[in-house]
Amino acid sequence: MDTNDKGVRKIVDMITGFARSNSLFMLAYGTGCGDIEIPPAMTSRYDWERFGYRKMATPRQADVLLISGYLATKTLKRVIRSYEQMQEPKYVVAFGSCTINGGMYWDSYNTIKMLDHYIPVDVYINGCMPRPEAVMSGLFDLQEQIKKGEANGAQKYRENLEWYRGNQKKVIKNWVMPEYNW
Amino acid sequence: MTTENNNLEREEAVVVALKATFPDLTARVKRIRRVEASVSKALTPSVLVHAKNVLGYKALSHISCVDWIEDEHFELVYILWNPDEKIQLLIKTLISRENATMENIDTIWRQANTYQREMREMFGIEFPGFVGAKEFLLEDWDDMPPMRRDFDTKEFVKEAFFLRPGREDAKDVRDTIAKRSKEEIPEFAKKYSREK
Ligand code: SF4
Repeated sequence: MDTNDKGVRKIVDMITGFARSNSLFMLAYGTGCGDIEIPPAMTSRYDWERFGYRKMATPRQADVLLISGYLATKTLKRVIRSYEQMQEPKYVVAFGSCTINGGMYWDSYNTIKMLDHYIPVDVYINGCMPRPEAVMSGLFDLQEQIKKGEANGAQKYRENLEWYRGNQKKVIKNWVMPEYNW
Repeated sequence: MTTENNNLEREEAVVVALKATFPDLTARVKRIRRVEASVSKALTPSVLVHAKNVLGYKALSHISCVDWIEDEHFELVYILWNPDEKIQLLIKTLISRENATMENIDTIWRQANTYQREMREMFGIEFPGFVGAKEFLLEDWDDMPPMRRDFDTKEFVKEAFFLRPGREDAKDVRDTIAKRSKEEIPEFAKKYSREK
């Protein structure tokens, strides 16, 4: 958290936090079956645009990476690339029990079980699959964290890159990507 | 479907037609609209060609593979469909599990290419002379083909991934429900229980 010399949060950070939390652009990248809950959440039934969320087409323009379900090791590779290409500030919301502990794919040979070992996760939403209300409540949590300046997954990633890379390379054996993507 | 409709004349005719050309094959009517034939490995391509060109089984719906690990062979099932007669024909053949190879049939049906790629990746069956991309669904897979029954998924998962603690005390669902509602579990079902 950014603080001044008296240990108090700087006013400018409060203002940026407020501004950031109210215009979140989300990368439209559905990974698992949970992505089917996103269309109702973003269209007229639940209409999350009224809270400032929008879907964005490219990682460079997005702030939030929503992992909507299980990740095959093949998909993980693409997710890592997308995540690293995103500009800071960036946040990860992981969605569904598959991202938490593997869910119903806990003994599958081709899906990862604990997402937070590969990329830093700011908010987990449980459920298989979470309803749009749950998704939105998770996003509200993220907003709160951003306002308080606590959503610092990207910083965690930067500082512990070696650990994350080690875990990533354990499952992605043929690493044909640049060492660092951003 | 009414019972009057249940005569199997058309299906019997298929069995007779197959046996007339290939005396070595065993065929039987499985149920209405489904005929099953067991063929030796060497004879399979000619039976498939015959079924396609003469008997009118124009469509290959799928090729599936069964791992009979106890008998040490794979069973390939070619599922054919006759769109005029509306009959499904299953052609089954056994191949040895050791160094499994099978004739490439993508010259008969092009879609067989996809199924053969899948079998090569998932069961490790080789198709000599067959051209297709090496990888089908998996990426950088260097272990045993995962659909073989001697591939231990659980052990592999423990090795390859991180497991969140808390899974160990998983209860047997059937037992838990039965206990809660004081239900009798039938004798034959007890051997499937995970509760020790
Ligand atoms: S948690 Fe359930 S709904 Fe979500 S990806 Fe996994 S299986 Fe699908």
